[in-house]
Amino acid sequence: MPRRLIMAEEFEPRIVAFLCKWCSSAGSDLAGVSRMQYPPNVLPITVMCSGSVSPLYIMDAFNKGADGVLVSGCHPGDCHYIKGNYYARRRIALVKKLLEFIGLEPQRFQMSWVSAAEGTKYTQIIGDFVKELKPLGPQRKLRRNQ
Amino acid sequence: MVNVEDLRNEAKRILKEEKVKYIIGYTKSQNGMMPTPAFIKESKDVDQLIWNPTCIHNLVKFLVDEKRRKHREKKPDERPVGVVVKGCDSRAIVVLLQEKFINREDVYILGVSCENGGVIDEKKLAKKLKGKTAETITQDEKGEFVISTKEGKVKVSGEEILAERCLECRANYPVIYDTLFGNKARKKVDDPFKSLDKLESLSERERWAFWKEQLSKCIRCYACRSACPMCYCDECVVDTINFAVTADTSAEEKAGKIKWIEKSPISSENFVYHMVRAMHLAGRCIDCGECERVCPLDIPLRFLNKKLEKEAKELFGYDAGFDPDEPSLVSSFKDEDPEDFIR
Repeated sequence: MPRRLIMAEEFEPRIVAFLCKWCSSAGSDLAGVSRMQYPPNVLPITVMCSGSVSPLYIMDAFNKGADGVLVSGCHPGDCHYIKGNYYARRRIALVKKLLEFIGLEPQRFQMSWVSAAEGTKYTQIIGDFVKELKPLGPQRKLRRNQ
Repeated sequence: MVNVEDLRNEAKRILKEEKVKYIIGYTKSQNGMMPTPAFIKESKDVDQLIWNPTCIHNLVKFLVDEKRRKHREKKPDERPVGVVVKGCDSRAIVVLLQEKFINREDVYILGVSCENGGVIDEKKLAKKLKGKTAETITQDEKGEFVISTKEGKVKVSGEEILAERCLECRANYPVIYDTLFGNKARKKVDDPFKSLDKLESLSERERWAFWKEQLSKCIRCYACRSACPMCYCDECVVDTINFAVTADTSAEEKAGKIKWIEKSPISSENFVYHMVRAMHLAGRCIDCGECERVCPLDIPLRFLNKKLEKEAKELFGYDAGFDPDEPSLVSSFKDEDPEDFIR
């Protein structure tokens, strides 16, 4: 019994993942239908393009209590809208630098390229992300009412 | 040194020839030595114009107001508006031109060069004078500043009195102008991002403590937004939109009106506000220092914008406000943009 109690108290991070409809979302779908195992800590939000992810979405996710935020889009050259992921790459780089500058742990915000065929890569990214977030504990810095 | 008479003569000429609607410049204020913005409509008033190291305001903000005013008029006066700008302010005009917010023919730019000086920092000045009141500040040939007070004259070096941004300035003379006053010689600056070094050398925990302390002070008066020439959005993310929810309000209508940030000045909301503002100014902020100057709680807002200016330069080789024909930072990309942070 005591062992189970400790297990129950272990911190489970909550990740908000903005997934591009054309690649990463399909990639996560592939992981699902292929019955691949990965941590259930992700709240996926499908967006039309990684380039449509406003910095405000990211700040707001942290503000509403996300422990980690992932933005995932198509590999360079594969964007459904030709160049949306290139814009995202630039913008997300700046957001990442800004979040680090104000003192948020850099591990809490990640970006990845996941194609519709990369179900395995998706499970791996989520697995690593959860593993990195666990030692950090809950994100209280940008969270409201803390 | 810029001869203020030249500026007045040119102002007089363009007003007499009715080339401009009016001229936005600096004039002596009613109290103290700090100047106040002046709107000169008639050529007989040009003697009110002044130019000295206390002219810290960025007058480009008034061009934004002017555009709005003109838009509301039924029969607008199509003549341009004259505006006195320093190097940094001229970069603000470049960004507005780049974004096609104003047209080049809507503005007549009277550029003044800061030469080897700049503008003063009021806080540094107050520290230096220890309670004495300065009456005038002038710069001599050697570049030293002479502050005259009731108790006599004080000579100080530029570093002791100039605003931090002037010491790091990369545009000491206007990059765009119709008439230029003063020398056109680039000042040598070793490290334009030196003021960031101290903050960047801190650990993550210390940086968080710093920003937590600073941004918790914010009372959300939005003075930074009001003074910024780049904050011209008609609808700002922090504003509450009056939206009455009735029985027949559809779900789509409600969903379209997301309240992103709470009005209350609590730390978490202040962080979102200031970070979003910093992101909106990435590749647009030209470091005129107005946000920091008008902040009633002395929050060092400049660091946030300066940091993104530095990253834009280092990651993407982008300099805001130098070329009106260049695409803006976040609406362009290069194939070789760094992606080492992407998994």
